[in-house]
Amino acid sequence: MSKFRFSFNLRKITESRLFFPLIALGAILLFDLIAVPGFFRISTREGNLYGNLIDIVRNASTVSLLAIGMTLVIATGGVDLSVGAIMAISASVAAILMNPYVLATELPPHIMKFMSDPNFTYQPLWIVILATLIVATICGLWNGLLVAYGKIQCMVATLILMIAGRGIAQLITNGVRIQIFYEPYAFIGQGWIILPFSLYLVAIVFALAWFLTRRTAIGMFIESVGTNARSSFFSGIDEKRVKLLAYTFCGFCAGIAGLVASSNIKTSDAFNLGVAKELDAILAVVIGGTMMSGGRFSLFASIVGAWVIQAITTSMYAVGVPAFALQAIKAVVVILVVLLYSEQVRNFVQKISARKEA
Amino acid sequence: MKSRILYGVLLMVLVFGLVGCGKKSAGPACAPNCEYKDMVVGFLQTGSEGGWRAANSASFRETADQLGLTLKFYDSQNDLARQVAGFHQFNQDPDVNVIILAALETTGWEEVLKEAQAAGKVVVLEDRRIDASEDMYATYIGSDFAEEGRKSANEMCKLLEGMAGKNVWELVGNVGSSAAKDRGQGFRETMGACGIEVTKSQTANWSITEGKEVTEAWLKETQDVQGIFAQNDEMALGAIEALKEAGLTPGVDVKILSVDATAGAFKAMLAGELNVTVECNPLLAPQVYEAALKALNGETLPKWIPSQEGVFSFDMPNLQEIADGRKY
Repeated sequence: MSKFRFSFNLRKITESRLFFPLIALGAILLFDLIAVPGFFRISTREGNLYGNLIDIVRNASTVSLLAIGMTLVIATGGVDLSVGAIMAISASVAAILMNPYVLATELPPHIMKFMSDPNFTYQPLWIVILATLIVATICGLWNGLLVAYGKIQCMVATLILMIAGRGIAQLITNGVRIQIFYEPYAFIGQGWIILPFSLYLVAIVFALAWFLTRRTAIGMFIESVGTNARSSFFSGIDEKRVKLLAYTFCGFCAGIAGLVASSNIKTSDAFNLGVAKELDAILAVVIGGTMMSGGRFSLFASIVGAWVIQAITTSMYAVGVPAFALQAIKAVVVILVVLLYSEQVRNFVQKISARKEA
Repeated sequence: MKSRILYGVLLMVLVFGLVGCGKKSAGPACAPNCEYKDMVVGFLQTGSEGGWRAANSASFRETADQLGLTLKFYDSQNDLARQVAGFHQFNQDPDVNVIILAALETTGWEEVLKEAQAAGKVVVLEDRRIDASEDMYATYIGSDFAEEGRKSANEMCKLLEGMAGKNVWELVGNVGSSAAKDRGQGFRETMGACGIEVTKSQTANWSITEGKEVTEAWLKETQDVQGIFAQNDEMALGAIEALKEAGLTPGVDVKILSVDATAGAFKAMLAGELNVTVECNPLLAPQVYEAALKALNGETLPKWIPSQEGVFSFDMPNLQEIADGRKY
C-alpha cells in the first residue's frame, strides 16, 4: 500500500511542470558542489545573507521579473522582444527624474553640489517609481495594441520597440550615462533585508501575476487563446483584450526590471542596460516548460528557469572558465538543459515512473 | 527582328554599365587638389557601448561640420554582419570617396577591402586595428592598445609598491576585439617587472553590470586581491560597486586601475574610489580627416599614426580642474 502511494507521487512529480527545471538546476548545483569548493558557503554580513547562492537568485531577479511577464505573453502564443529596450527606457526615465541637471551644460555652484549628494533627488522616490512604471506600462500597451488590434505579427511588432526603444532611452538622457547617487533608489537593487530586496520585488510581482492568472479566469483565457485562438473566439473569449493585457503586464514587469537593474549599478546605462535580456527571458520561459507555441504555462517554473540561466553564468565565473570559451560552454549547457525537455527524454522518464507503479 | 533589338538594347546596357564602372574606379575627380568640401565620408562606427564611443562619434560629427565635409554616419549596432553590410553599401555608393572604419572584429575584412580598392575608395581605420595586409588601407589612426596595457602595468606597479602579495584581477573587454587583446598582452609584458600576478581574468564585455557580476563571484571565492585592472572605465565602476557590497573599500583595500579616462572615471577618482585611469583619446576625428584628405590627394601615409594619450591619477592636485576641462 505504502509502495503504491510512493509510486503514485513519483509519477505526479515527473509530470509536474516544475520537475525538469528543478532537475536542471539541481544538476548545475551538483556540478558546483563537486567542482568549486565552498560554492555553497553562505555567511552573514551585518545580519544579511551573503554567498554564491544568494548571488544567483539576486542577479537572476532582473531576468525573473522579465520572465514573469514573458510567460504570459508566450502563453498567448506571442513573444515580446522589446523588454530589454523597455528596461533601458525606464532606467533613463528614473534617472532623469532624480537628476535632470545632468542635461544642463553649465550649472550654478549651489546646484552642482547636489549632484553627488546621496540624499538629493529632484522628484520624490514614489513619483520616480510611479512615473517609470507608467512609462513602461505604456510601452507594453503599445506592443499590445500593435499585436492585438493592429494584427501585426508579434515578432515584428515588438521588434519595432526593441530597436527604437534604445534610441528613445538615449534621447531621454541626451546620450549621457547618468550616475545615480540617491541612496534610497539604490536600495531597490542593492538593498538587503536579510535577503536581497530585489528578491522581495520578484516575490511581489510573482504573487500579483499568480493572483491575476490563477485566482481569476484570466489565466485560463490566456491558455485557451494560446492553445487555439479560433475556438476560444467561438467560446466567447475576447482574444484581443487577453493579448493586450499580457503585453501590457509584460511591459510593467520590464519597467520593474529596469528599476532593479539600474539601481544595482547606480547608473542609467541606456547603451548597455538590458541588452539581450529579452533572449534570456525567453530562454527562462522555455526552460520553465512553457511552449513557444503558447498554451499551458507555469510562472514559478519560469522563475526557476531564470535561476538556471544565472546559475550557469555564476558557475562559469566561479570555475574560472577562460573568457574566450565562456559563450561556447554556456551554449553546451543550455543545449543539454533543453534536451531534457525533448519528447524522448520525457517519455523515458515517464516510462520509468510508470513502470514502478505497475 | 524583335529579338535583335532586344539584344542590341541588352548590349548597350552592358557596355554603358561597364563604362560606368570604369569611371567609378578612376578615383575622385578632384585629386590631387581635393579639399575638405570635396570629401564625402562614410563612417562605420561600431555602435554605442558607452561614454568613450559617444565622445568618439561626437568628435566625427562636430569636426565634419567644422571642416565642411559630408559625413554619412553608419551605426553598426555592435553587429559584425551589419557592419560588413554597411561597408558594402558605402563601396557601392558613388558619392562616397572616403570610408572610415572602426572595426568590430580584427579579422574577416579582405573581401570588402578588395571591393573598396576596386571602387577607388580611400579606407582609413580608426581606433581599432585589423588583421589585413597593409596595402589594403591608407592608414590606421588610433591608440596603441598594447602601450596602454604596458602603461597600466607600470601604474599598477606603483600602486602596489611594497605590498607582500601582488595579486591582480583582470576584467577583459569583448573577447576578440583588438583593444581587449592588446591591452591584456601589453599588461602582461611589463607586469613581471615588479612581480604582479594576474590571478583571475574574465570577460565582462565592457559593461558595468557584468563587471560587477564577475567581481562579485570572485569575491565569494577569495578576497586575496590587491589590484583590479579593468580594460575600460565601465567595468571598473561595476567592480567598485561589487567591492563596496563585499565590505571592502575600493581604492584603498583594493587598488583599481582602468583604461579610457571618461567622465565617469574622473567622478570615481574624485570620490577616491578609482586610483588611476589611463587615457584612450576618443577625439580622433581631426587627425583622421586630415590623413584621409592626404590619402585622397595621393599622398602615401605611414601605416600607423598614433594618437596622444596621458595617465591620470586620483592624487593629482588639480584633478577637479582637469575633469572640468574635458569634453568627454
